[in-house]
This record gives sequence, structure tokens and C-alpha cells, in this order.
Amino acid sequence: MVDSTTAERIGLTWLRAELEPVGAFGRRHDETIAPYAPGDEAKALAEIADAVALARTLHFDGVARIRAALRAVPEPGPILARARAGDPLTDVDFYELGRFVDALAALARAWDAARGAAQRRPPTLDAMRAILAPARENGGFYLADAFGAGLPAARTALASAEAEVDARREAIAARVREVTGVDPIGDEFVVLRDVYTGPLPDGARVVRDAPAYRTVAIDVTSSARDAALARLTRAEEEARRALADRIAAEAGAGNDAVRALGALDRALARVAFAQRWGGCVPTLAPNGIAFDQAVFAPLAGALGERGRRYTPISLDLPGVAVLTGANMGGKSAALATAGFLCACVALGVPPPAREAALPLLDAIVWIGGEGPQDRARLLSSYAAEIVRAREALEHASSRTLMLIDEFARTTGPREGRALLIAFVEALRARGALALVSTHFDGIAEAAQVAHVRIAGLREGALGAVSPDDLDAALDAINLAMDYRVVDARDGAATSDALALARLLGFDATVVARARELYEG
Amino acid sequence: MATAAARSVVVVGTAKNAGKTTVFNALRAVAARRGAVMAVTSIGRDGEPFDALDAEPKPRVRLAAGTLVALPAGLVPRSPALALLDRGEESALGTMMFARAMLATTCEIAGPPTARAMRATIDRLRALGEGPVLVDGAIDRIAPLAGGDDAIVVATGAASGATVERVAAVAAETVARLRIPGRDPACERARIVRVPGALDARDAEELLGDTGDVTVVIEDPTRVAVRGALFAKLQAFVDLRCERPLQVVACTTSPVGRDATLPARALVEAVARATGLPAFDVVADLTAVPDG
Repeated sequence: MVDSTTAERIGLTWLRAELEPVGAFGRRHDETIAPYAPGDEAKALAEIADAVALARTLHFDGVARIRAALRAVPEPGPILARARAGDPLTDVDFYELGRFVDALAALARAWDAARGAAQRRPPTLDAMRAILAPARENGGFYLADAFGAGLPAARTALASAEAEVDARREAIAARVREVTGVDPIGDEFVVLRDVYTGPLPDGARVVRDAPAYRTVAIDVTSSARDAALARLTRAEEEARRALADRIAAEAGAGNDAVRALGALDRALARVAFAQRWGGCVPTLAPNGIAFDQAVFAPLAGALGERGRRYTPISLDLPGVAVLTGANMGGKSAALATAGFLCACVALGVPPPAREAALPLLDAIVWIGGEGPQDRARLLSSYAAEIVRAREALEHASSRTLMLIDEFARTTGPREGRALLIAFVEALRARGALALVSTHFDGIAEAAQVAHVRIAGLREGALGAVSPDDLDAALDAINLAMDYRVVDARDGAATSDALALARLLGFDATVVARARELYEG
Repeated sequence: MATAAARSVVVVGTAKNAGKTTVFNALRAVAARRGAVMAVTSIGRDGEPFDALDAEPKPRVRLAAGTLVALPAGLVPRSPALALLDRGEESALGTMMFARAMLATTCEIAGPPTARAMRATIDRLRALGEGPVLVDGAIDRIAPLAGGDDAIVVATGAASGATVERVAAVAAETVARLRIPGRDPACERARIVRVPGALDARDAEELLGDTGDVTVVIEDPTRVAVRGALFAKLQAFVDLRCERPLQVVACTTSPVGRDATLPARALVEAVARATGLPAFDVVADLTAVPDG
């Protein structure tokens, strides 16, 4: 849909990071859903409307808690798949399934606490929980006696046989102590030849015979113990088999739950976005772009972190329009906002605006300056622009949004202006959707397209700011600038370049001389 | 049992076949005789039927009923079933599982791969159980002990030297390294040099070229990468201290080497003298204390 340079400029890279699901379920789910394209309007609108509705319903802090609970849900997929295939499961597998149903219960509690609607409550897999319940104490797992009719007796028999073996082992150990003087602590022990060289008592087996010592183990063979262990092994395997079969019967519900969690993860990412930035249910229409009081969230967030205000902007772009206005007035941000809102609807995200009419697009292309790809191709700024413009023009249509930022600014102004006029004329002729920012005069009129401008510096709004204090100057500009996009017929477009240069600390005499030249 | 008061005991050996696992099993047996329910894990991999390096038969780890154990999921025995209580860090053999033996069983045990995870494993075993935690350690993997209050038992024996004197010297050097004292403001010298990270041979040579009137502070004894005569020289020359000392409480001796056997009583006494720690021969049932 967009290349990496465009993704960076319109905030799509930022947006994708904001929408990153918290869990593996959500990531897998996301991978199955391509960005919405023309023809997908109903699906996109449904997802956006759902996110807006949930954002209004769910408690703000509750969404964060639901997402935290989602992040904690372990992955049951491979275990469920093996159960369905009839493979044996281990106790660790059952333990992990126990964690899974516990995590689902915690997720459902978080949902309820956030005032989530009952019909949208995440699955809890009560049947699987009930199956595992006899094995679970304090969140653990033990193949409890309840899982197999033969288990209690088999365990009792083994415990008895082990006790009998221990008693016999202790009797042999006592005989070893008596005969050799060595206290056989542990499973194996050593008898030094300079301590004892005689025969060992029955039941004491030499496992290593070295010149200076013998390593000895007390071997107590017990057919009763062996039989009891074999019986218990069979009983435990039968119990696991039966338990795995019951789990397999619930595996379908488990997989449904996993899919539901994936969808919930994706939805909650959009809900969290809408709760932070606001968002509307837009009209999805193919002809043009219009939005009111829209927020370019990446910029608004960055400004907010620095304590600066962000001015929401409005725009009506029927086809091709030229945008002019003050330096630092937000022309590039206006272009980015248009691209950002279109990216939002393509990803099923409520666009952060009071209201909006937006199209689903095949592509968004940013032309202006150079990006990392261009630098990698060793292209100059001008060459990069021309190459991108050439490629974009080949595909220009109403299904592609072109955001053209000060095209040809790095070449001679007369040729650059002529080239831009011709480019805009070509875009208009192809019925393209394009917003073109520029400082060249008369482009819109010459190419016969709409003309809008940034309102610019408010009259007399710049107070006395020390040119040496850049932060204070930027704050002053931020306060003095009217970032609204207005019809260019309402007042003259200015660049405010000289006033801004002075405010940014450029030499006063140089700026004064420039003003003489400009006005003279 | 010298380590009775400790909440966790780590056995480390001065060399391979120094009798570490024998001591580990002996400590478990003694605890069992006293009715204590232990928790066990291993810094390396233990309990496999044969030594991974020399293919010699190795004693399996037999867990009495009630024993707590930390082991990777891949080593959880199928029968008799363990009660799985909790899970920990990932390891090469699967997630570390904390479990209790409900019936006596025999198994392999192994620990997690990182020092941080090993420390967390020991601490979790402490929290889960009431008895002491016993760790089959490794002298070249003692980083997990830093910052803990584990009691450390150094297993030494004929595998680390051909004579009683040599074995005692190796034990003394190992213990000296592990027992680098904590900081004491009253005793610090005119200048304090902090060595972040490992103290290696290059650091040691630089310090030896100094005036000597210096207190050298390292993070903990596991950061000392200097061995042998260089370490002895350094320790004699500077005041070597650490922020987080270890508790080395005892040595054990194994007089049995692959090809020769040392006199058991002479060995246990020599090790006690050389290290200044109580020494035990758990096989021959011998005890020596430094001043005895």
C-alpha cells in the first residue's frame, strides 16, 4: 500500500507500532487481515464502528488491564494440536493447559471489571477447566488419583514396595557398617583398600574396582517393587491417555478461543487508540478526502511530550489541490494528516477527527525530499523526486493518494515552477487524488486546481523573544501560528519567512537588509 | 551438619571427580535421616546415567517422597508422576519446572542457563519449601551465587592433585578466592580502587605495580579471574575486598583419585589447616577442624 519513505512521512510506521497486538494470538490474527482496499468498505466500516462502540463502553483503565491479561495468556495451540492428533500428552502439557484456562478466567474477570458487554465476554472454556480441576491445586498439576481407577491402588502398592526396599537397603547398610566400618551414606560409597579388603556383604555391589578402592552400591533387587512400578507406570499412562482424549474433545473449543483472543487483541489495540486520540466512524466514499478537526497523532504526541499544543486541522480535498502558506505553518503536517487518516481507515482504525469522509485506496505515495531508499540508490534530492514522480504518475488515479511536498524546490525556481505546474496539470487530467504543497506562486491558478493555504502567523502575535533562546522562539512561533487550512481566496498567502528567520535568531542586520530588498 | 542453619547449600568442586555429587547425595541422605524435606537442583546437568565427558557411570539423583526439585520440562519423569507446582525460566531442555516428588523416584536434574535464572530458581525453591535448598554446583559456574546468602561447600580431593600438599594448596586457593572479605571501612587503606566487572591478570599486574597501600574493591568473589601464584601475590600485596561476600562454610575431601589414593585422614586434616575451614570426608566419616 505504501513504501517505507511514505510510511514514515504519513505516520504509518508509528501507527503500526501503536496497533501492535499484545499477544501472539493477536499477531497471528493480524497477519491474516490485509489492509482494506477499495471494495472492502463494509468490512472496514464494521471494524471501525465496533472499535468506536467499544471505546465508548469499556472503562479506560480497564482496557489496559484487559490487554495485560491478554498478554499473560499462554499459547495452547501446539498442545491442542497434539491432543487432536492422538499424541500422548505429558504432565507439563496438562500443567500448561491449566495455566491457559486460568489466564482465560483472569481475562474474563478483567473484561467484566471494564464494563464489557456480556455477549462479547472472552471465552472461559469452562468444560476444559472442569476436566482439569481434580489435578489442580494452587495453579499446579498432579495426575490425581481421580483420573484413573487403578491409580490409588497402584500408588499404594509402589509406596509399600519402596518401603520394603528401603528397609532391606538399610539392613544391608547396617551389615556393611558392621563388616567394613564404613557408613554407606548416599546411593554409592567408597571402601578404601587400606580400610577393608575383605568380601562385601550380600547386596553390596562393586561398581568400580580400582587399585586403591572399590566404589560400592547397595543393590536391592525387588521384583515386587519393579512390578509395582510397572503397574503404576501403566496406570499413569492410561490416566494420561484418557485425560488427553477428553482434552482432545475440547480442542475445537480451545482453538475457537484462541481465534477469539486474536480478534479481541486486534480490536482492543484499536479501542486503546480511539480512547487516546478520539476517533469517528467516517463515511467511506471514493471521491475525495474531507475531514474536520483531525489530529495527526504522531505529531500531536511528540508536541505533547514537549508541552506544546497541537492544532487539529480540517481539509476538503475533492481531487487535486495546492497548499501554500507560512514556513513552519504545518503544510507537511497537513499532507501527512491526509495520508494518516487514509491509513487509519485502511487498517480499520477510527480516524482521529470530529468527522471524516475518506476513501479506501490502493496506494499512498509521498513525493518530496529523499528517503532512505533514495539515499541507498545514491540519488540526489531532485533526482529522487523526479524518479518517484515518474513512477507515481504512471499509476495516478482516484484510488491513489499523492502527497507532494514542495516538489522541485531544489532546482532553479523558474524551471521548478514550470515543472510543478505541468505535473499538477497531468495529475488533474488523470483524475488523481493529490495534495501539493509549495512556495511557488500561482501554481493552483495556472493548473486550474483548488487552492488552500495555511492561515499563518497571526497579526502582531509574535511577542518579544530573545533570538538566543531557540526553545522559547519555537514556543512563541507555536503560539503565534494559526495552523488552520483555509481557502486561499480568504486573504493573501504569506511565507512569513523573514519574520521567522529573525525569531529563530538569524542576524538582525541581514534580515533587515533582506526586508529592504523584498519590499524595495 | 555444618550447614544446618543455611537456607540453601551449594556444593562446588575444585576439579572434576572431586566427589561433589557424592557430597551432594550425602547431604541429602543426612537431611533425610534427620527428617528434613529438601529441595534440590543443579547448576550443571546431573543425574544422567553416564558422565557426558568421560562416559563413566554416574550416580542417579534419587528423590525421596516429598522432595522439592527444580528441573527442565524435558527431564520431568513420566512415572511416578511429580506434582508440578510452578514454572520458571526457559532452558535448553524446556521450561524450568518446580515440582514435588509424591513417591520416591530417580531422575536427572539440571538448572537454567543463566546466573540470573539460577538465582531466581534457588530463591523460588526456598519460597516453595520449608527445608533447605541443596544445589549441585560447579566451580566454573559460581556467578549465580553472587548476591545470595547460600552456604557454599567446596568439594576437593585427589582429582585435583597428586599429593596431599597439592590438594590442600588447590583447596586453599579456591577458598581464598571465594572468601574475599566484604568491605570494612575501619580497615580500608589510604586509596580505594574499584574494579568493575572481572578482575583479570592485566588488572592484577597493574595493581602489583602500584604502591600496595590500596584497598581493591570488586563486586563479588565470582568476578576474580586470576588464579594461582598471581592471585596469592595480589592478595598479599593489596587489601582485596568485595561488595557482596560469599559464605564458604566447609570443605569436603575425597582421597580417591583415578589412579591413586591419598591417605584420607592426612588429607582431611591438611585441607582443614590450609583453608581454615572445617573439613569432612563423608565417605570415610572423618572430620577435621582448623585448630584441631
